[in-house]
This record gives sequence, structure tokens and C-alpha cells, in this order.
Amino acid sequence: MTVTGWLQIALFAAIVGALTRPLGGYLARVYAGERTPLRPLIAPVETALYRLAGIKPQTEQSWYGYAISFLVFHAAGIIALYGLLRLQSLLPLNPQAMTAVAPDLALNTAVSFVTNTSWQSYGGETTLSYLGQMAGITVQSFLSAASGMAVAIALIRGFARRRAATIGNFWVDLTRGTLYVLLPICIVAAFILIADGVPQTLAPSAEVTTLDGALQVIARGPVATQEAIKLLSGDGGGFFNANSAHPFENPTPLTNLAELVLIFALGAALTNCFGRMIGSERQGWILLCVMAILFGLGVSGLYSVESGANPALAAINVDQTPGLQQPGGNMEGKEVRFGIAGSALFADVSTASSDGAVNSMHDSFLPLSGGIFLANMMVDEVIVGAPGSGLYGMLLFCIVAVFLAGLMIGRTPEYVGKKIGSAEIKMTILALICIPAATLGLTAIACVVEPGLAGLGNAGPHGYSEILYAYTSAAATNGSAFAGLSSNAPFYNLTLALAMFVGRFVVIVPVLAVAGSLAAQPIVPQSAGSLPTDRALFVWFLLGVIVIVGGLTYLPALALGPIIDSLQMLGGTLY
Amino acid sequence: MLDIIMLALVIVCFALAAAYASLCERLLAPSAGKDASP
Repeated sequence: MTVTGWLQIALFAAIVGALTRPLGGYLARVYAGERTPLRPLIAPVETALYRLAGIKPQTEQSWYGYAISFLVFHAAGIIALYGLLRLQSLLPLNPQAMTAVAPDLALNTAVSFVTNTSWQSYGGETTLSYLGQMAGITVQSFLSAASGMAVAIALIRGFARRRAATIGNFWVDLTRGTLYVLLPICIVAAFILIADGVPQTLAPSAEVTTLDGALQVIARGPVATQEAIKLLSGDGGGFFNANSAHPFENPTPLTNLAELVLIFALGAALTNCFGRMIGSERQGWILLCVMAILFGLGVSGLYSVESGANPALAAINVDQTPGLQQPGGNMEGKEVRFGIAGSALFADVSTASSDGAVNSMHDSFLPLSGGIFLANMMVDEVIVGAPGSGLYGMLLFCIVAVFLAGLMIGRTPEYVGKKIGSAEIKMTILALICIPAATLGLTAIACVVEPGLAGLGNAGPHGYSEILYAYTSAAATNGSAFAGLSSNAPFYNLTLALAMFVGRFVVIVPVLAVAGSLAAQPIVPQSAGSLPTDRALFVWFLLGVIVIVGGLTYLPALALGPIIDSLQMLGGTLY
Repeated sequence: MLDIIMLALVIVCFALAAAYASLCERLLAPSAGKDASP
């Protein structure tokens, strides 16, 4: 580990911390329909869209109406994207003459991007036309992020409102999130990326003659615009197969830092937005504090594990000491321009946030690091998470935490002035249990059936980790790949699509139900018997709940994969 | 043919999700206002 490496991590954390309050305030104003600097420019477009779609922005919806709108919108999104991918060979903007995407892969990709997962069983530059990338992938990246934020805002309204029958209007929240938040930030981010060398062109791939006289095809395209929303949306689906490890997606350490900030910015800001909307910014800082501690543990662990020597290489006397010629540590699968710190930081941000973009190959990290990636995803995206999903995941854990505290002291659980009754607990548990059920159930099936085993690139615990990682990533709507697993086969395409569907829709329905149930309640003033949720004690209590719930659910699965893999590597056995 | 199967899968999954939302609504109704404390 080096001072420069730690400074990179500290700089990133400082930038995200500095952006949290202003961006959180902006989000709160946007979703309340208040005046913002961009309103004069965007309001006419917003109004025109409502007129065109026949939406009455003043009419609000019950949680059930909100949920049905959410489901209908995403069903239409999956069908539209599926159709686009299947018909791309007949459509314009296809200079490389890409053929139609296979049905199972098209379904997997459509579900993947509509659910904000961006699991990619394909290589973008060898599979999709420019139209597929722009009108398919990029559009869904915007819409899935905006809908995730809409759900989080609806849940916040549930906490903030008293005796209300409605939690907002899904179509209005979706439109505002897209027009006022995602689009402006992405325009600025795309220009920053272009300025640093990321291509943005509709020209076909370049054909060049190498020094050896061979012909080389260099893929390019409208990369910068897709890159900006890929990161901001918590989506992570790259234009190129190598994702942010590709020099056209992430050419320099500066773009690496910008990409990292884009991934975390909205998720962190939503905690402040939550605090503002319920009238106590301190409550938002408490949530961010819990996220920061979990993030700090993850990145410290990754950086220290990867900075150390690879025991398998040390056993055959490979020099791994840091020096002027090499950074030392485990550089397998990492880009030299990012080094150990830049790769470990990106990997932690990506798996914690549910973005799933990668600037290094996760399968090449040491087994213990693989365990950290899995643990990040297994806590249900609560470490900042994707825009919206991180916050509502964390709020679900807050409900569980105050419920457990209520059990301990024999009082009715309350959180930010709302009593947590049996209705909220039922819905919360339903939302929290479906992700592990999908992850572990599908992993178990894939480990024993022939089509599941056929995709393995490695045997033993490492191969098991590859399968576990795939389903964990899909159900947590992360989308990063461990690599090593050949997932472009009907079995994986369909079962991973199912995991993504469960991880998004089966979670969001009860989240909205909680929002509706809370909104209908009065706000109870704090009393001497209330558990204070704006103090340091609650930070540790909430951390304990997250770690224990995650630990109890997933520890056996982790023990069979990265933990055994690591122990066997120390004993000299590799897979 | 495969396209029809894939689209049917999508429609069935979303129909199930809508039924699930309806079930959640019914689960909420009788327990609204009930205390979750021991």
C-alpha cells in the first residue's frame, strides 16, 4: 500500500462527501416541484411530455397505483428493448452489420437493462448496433435509474407525509428524475469524458494497418454518452466488453476518478434528500455514515489484500516487491494506468454501489477480494447502491433495526416519527428475503445441473464462486461479472433474467407497499421511550443488523466459495 | 416461435408481479394499525 493510493481513496471520498449536500438539496427541490436553476429551461419540455402522454401531474397515486404504473412501464420497456435487439439487423445505424441478437440473449439483455442491472452476456462492440446501444441500452439506463429514484422518493414521502392516501405520481417522478437530474449531469459528464479521449462518433469501426502490416479493426462509436449514464445510473453496462478497463471507456486516471464520483454521487445525495424531506438532515447523515463505514471496510480490505503478494507466485519466488519498475502486489487482471489502488477502489465502488462497471477483471483478484465483492452485493445494495435502490434498501434495514430494538426493550418500534407495525414488517421481510432466495436457490440449481456446470471456467470452490457471483450480481441488480463463467447460453440467460426480475420487481412492490402504509399514518412525536435514530448508537446498531442479517444468510455460501478457495491457495492448491 | 415464447414469458412474469402487488395490498389491509411489538 502506498500513500498515493490512500490519497486517491481519500480524494474520492472527499469529493463525494462534498457533493452530497448540494446535490441532495437539488434532488429534494426537483421532486417537490420547486424552482431550480434549470426549471425555466426544462419546464416547457416537461409540460409538453405530460400533455403528449395524457398525464395530469397534480393527480397523485396510491401505492398500488404507483406500483402498477411502475410494472406496466417496465413491461413495455422489456418488450421494446427485446424487439429492438431482435430487429437490429433491419434497422439503421448498424455500420458493422450486426445480426439479430439471439432470443435468449435478447431477453436477458432486455431484462438486464430495464432492471438497472446491466448484466452483459455479450460483448457490446461485437453484438450490438449503434441504434441498439443508443436507443436501447442508453435509454433504458436513463429510465431504470429514474424509476429507481422515483421508488426511493415515494418511500421517503411515506415517512414524510401524515394521514395521506397517496405517495406521489410515478410518471411525474420518472419524468423529473430523467429531465432535471440525469440528463443535465450526463451532458456535462459526457463532455468531460470526450475532452479526455473517450470517443463519440457514429462512424464505423476504424481499420488500420499495424506496424507488422496486419489489418486491425478498432471498434468505436457513441461511447461517451453511454458511458456517462452507465456510471450515473448505477447501471454499469459498458459499450465495450472490457467495460471501464477499455481505454476508450476510461482512458486516464482522471476519467477513472470522474467515473467513480459519478457512480456514487446520486446514491449518496439521496440520503441527504431523505433527511431534508423528513425535516431532519441528521437522519440522512446517519444513513450516509453507515454506508461510509461499510464502504471504508470494503475498500481497505480490498486494497490491503491486493497490495500484498500473491501467495501462489511468492511460492515460486516471483519478485512482487513494489519498486520503480512495478507497483508490486497482485497486478493480474488490472490496468497499469490505474494500479492497485485505482483498481481496488473502482472494484469496491462498483460492487458496493450496484453499478457493476469494472476497470479490472474481478476473477483475477485474490479469493478473499472475491469474498469482499460478494459481501458488498449480498447486503442488498445498501452501500450507497444505485440511485434509489441503495436508499430504499437501507431504509428497509432501518425498519428491521428499530423492530429488533423494539423487541429488546418491549416498546412499539418507531422510525422518524412513524410507528412500524406488523404490516410494515411483513412487507419489509418480503422485500429482504426474496433476493437471498433467488440468489441461493438458483446457485444451488446451477451447481447440480449439466447446463449450469457446462459454463464453468474453473473447478472446485473457484468455479462455485463464479456461479455464486453471477446469481448474486444478477439478484442484487449489480451486473458486474466475475468472468470465468460462460454465461451466454440459454440456461444462464434465462435463469439470470429471472434473478434480475426478482431482484428488482419482487423487491420494489413491497417497498411501495411500505410507503403507502407509512403515508397513511400520523406522525408520532418523539418521546422518552423512542429509540433515538439520529445518534451514533443507531449507526452501530444498524451496522450490526446489516452485517448479522447478511452474515447469517450468506456465510455458508461464502465459506464454500472464496473462503475455502483462499485457504486452499495458501496450501498451494489452485483451481 | 422462440420470440413468442420469450414474450409470453415476459407477460406471464409481469402478470404474476401484478398479482403479487394485489396480494401485498390484501396483506396490508387487515394488519394496518396493528402493533408489531411483542
